[in-house]
Amino acid sequence: MIGLQHYVTVSAILFVLGVLGIFLNRKNVIIILMAIELILLSVNINLVAFSAFLHDLVGQVFAMFVLTVAAGEAAIGLAILVIYFRGRGTIAVDDINRMKG
Amino acid sequence: MIQTIAFYLFATLLIASGALTILARNPVHSVLWLILAFFNAAGLMVLVGAEFIAMLLVIVYVGAVAVLFLFVVMMLDIDFAELRAGLARYLPFGMVLALVLLCEMVFAVGAWRAGGVDLGHRLGATPADVPNIEAIGTLLYTRYLYIFEGAGLVLLVAMIGAIVLTHRARSGVRPQNVAAQNRRRPEDAIRKVNQPVGQGVEL
Amino acid sequence: MVDLSQYLPILLFLGVAIVLSTAFVVLPMVAAQFTGANKPNPDKLAEYECGFPAFEDSRAQFDVRFYLVAILFIIFDLEAAFLYPWAVSLKEIGWTGWLAMMTFLAELVLGFVYAWKKGALEWE
Repeated sequence: MIGLQHYVTVSAILFVLGVLGIFLNRKNVIIILMAIELILLSVNINLVAFSAFLHDLVGQVFAMFVLTVAAGEAAIGLAILVIYFRGRGTIAVDDINRMKG
Repeated sequence: MIQTIAFYLFATLLIASGALTILARNPVHSVLWLILAFFNAAGLMVLVGAEFIAMLLVIVYVGAVAVLFLFVVMMLDIDFAELRAGLARYLPFGMVLALVLLCEMVFAVGAWRAGGVDLGHRLGATPADVPNIEAIGTLLYTRYLYIFEGAGLVLLVAMIGAIVLTHRARSGVRPQNVAAQNRRRPEDAIRKVNQPVGQGVEL
Repeated sequence: MVDLSQYLPILLFLGVAIVLSTAFVVLPMVAAQFTGANKPNPDKLAEYECGFPAFEDSRAQFDVRFYLVAILFIIFDLEAAFLYPWAVSLKEIGWTGWLAMMTFLAELVLGFVYAWKKGALEWE
């Protein structure tokens, strides 16, 4: 029988994969944003699993808000990426510290 | 039985596609693996009875966010081989960090299983015979009303921010002006003349 | 854990869809194997650009305006997602819930008007 710990384990592995993705692709902002989406997905799995196994619906309501914030984050992050690429011609993260307002 | 098989199928595919998302050589493939990961996560959520969140995941993530990522990957013409140069260098450090994080999480789960944390206080108990989506709606639009409005504000800020950041007023565009079109009368556009023969036409 | 037997029709539908789409893809290939001649050469395989060699890579860059449209689509997609549970549970939540949704919609209409006035929806 599948229990809560199975779900928590899957979500933990996915979270670690997301963090690893940020470290492995340190130069490529697009992959970093995708890794952040993976992390948020694992958080959502966690919320839904706890909500289902504890018979408490608040987790699912909160998962909806996490989804909203993730969509907003992706939209703004990619918008920043687009204007950065337009000005610089590259998306290497190493150069971002040279940004001046 | 079938639930166990389905869980292991979805979980294996989810973790495999998550790993391929961060390891794929081509960012377009990365996006496609990410889409597969979202589908499998939706399957996992269906298994525990959270149908609405699962469908939302498919609609919002697969339908919109992944497409946005795909657009950006296609839009920016980037030399990705150069960006991957540091992969081998960061691999050991990243692995060590990931292992430590995983150990901590497993330890935390073990500690939680051993007891000590009591979750007797339920904030919103799941009603027994109400469909999932209706129960969510009842809770969302009564107790979590203000957070819901806050989510609307987040969406508003995201929309305005994206427009401010990426929109450029371009010259040479001639947008349709509906009001001017509707205001225009036949008298402004045409001229009736009684043309005498043999005098030519004044344009 | 939910009772998965209620998803059996969806599984059947998925199976039928996969079988049909596979058949539509595979059958013409099999038929072509048996009936057509397959003698490729470089000139045949080159992409056709009106008689002269191709100027550039076929993968052209997208315009930024596609991206703006995609962002607006995400926002309104989420708005629609919030509408589903509202519509289903409108009886229980009453006028308070109705008013809350109208405020939410007004917030997004504000953003929509902004996008319209800025000309983010203009194409050419």
